[in-house]
Amino acid sequence: MEINSKKVLLIDLAKQTFEAKSYSDLGKYVGGIGLGLKLYETYLTTDPVIFSIGPLNGFFPFVSKTSIVLSDNGVIEDLYIGGNLSLRIRFSGLDSVVLCNKSPEPVVLDITNTQVTFKPASIDLDYLGLPGKRSLISFEKEKVTVNDYFSTPDDFLGQKLAEKNIKGISFTGTEVFKPNNFSAYESLYQELLSRTTGLRVEKGNYPSCSNCPMGCGKSKFGEIGGNVLIHSLVACQYADKVYSDIGVIFSCLNVLGYDYTHEDLENLPKLIENTLKQIS
Amino acid sequence: MSKILKIIKPDKCNGCELCVLEAQRQLETVGLEGALIRVFRKKLENSEYPQNHLEIDPRINSLNPGKIKIICPQEVFETQEIDGN
Repeated sequence: MEINSKKVLLIDLAKQTFEAKSYSDLGKYVGGIGLGLKLYETYLTTDPVIFSIGPLNGFFPFVSKTSIVLSDNGVIEDLYIGGNLSLRIRFSGLDSVVLCNKSPEPVVLDITNTQVTFKPASIDLDYLGLPGKRSLISFEKEKVTVNDYFSTPDDFLGQKLAEKNIKGISFTGTEVFKPNNFSAYESLYQELLSRTTGLRVEKGNYPSCSNCPMGCGKSKFGEIGGNVLIHSLVACQYADKVYSDIGVIFSCLNVLGYDYTHEDLENLPKLIENTLKQIS
Repeated sequence: MSKILKIIKPDKCNGCELCVLEAQRQLETVGLEGALIRVFRKKLENSEYPQNHLEIDPRINSLNPGKIKIICPQEVFETQEIDGN
């Protein structure tokens, strides 16, 4: 894993082309909303939709959301969706997926790691990707869901994907990671997993996001806006007591090999604010 | 005596994949490739909730099944002791 650069899959829907690019200068945006906004600024003219994860997704419990940045009639929206999508993006070896421009005809995207196949809209999503290693984004009427359940609070994503002529997306991730100090990683994972009493949701019997045991009733509806540090990581906002603790964040980052400093995280809100000013 | 992992409440699975990730960590890996437990999701007609279906590779029993059982929040698994001879 090239730990301090960001790997981005750029998909041009108009040309039906794709390219995986590494950005060594985007590490300071950390991930999620920070990275998503910077990529939005970079690809502004293509009316992008940007899916981003943070450095802890896939590795630690309760870090289960995927950030989505898009424009709703010129207003930038940041949405967060649960389910297993963030883990599939992580296991694709990617930090972000950027959907640029508009497909000339209805299309389904079949993404496996950094490869994209453009399929006709008539294809059955169930036949795409690798079962058990995939995440499916599909439409139920006009509402977009991950795995037929998890959604976002507003319908901005559904409207934007419809505008772009996207009828569904399959994400499959087959990469594996081996943190160098695995015993330290394992200890930290178990310690964090034991902190369920620090969450702001009750345990339930609903479908759960991946890497979260709670099965809460909130996950179905996703999130919109909120704490930029939590949403750069991209943790669940209901785990904010766990992942607002700067000591916890650095323990997690360090055990994975990231070399972020306190200043990097302190400067992140300002960096995001400046990026927003540039866009507007 | 050794232990084997058995699924006893498949319908309780909430799809969290903690079992999958625990088994992978026991192999010092983070990811899904080569996973010895797989969670398959299927949409049910006339249901708001997708159904999860678990498959276990028998090689799982060479790991620590007790830790996999414990990490499941829905008590989907049990371990059974068997005579290793």
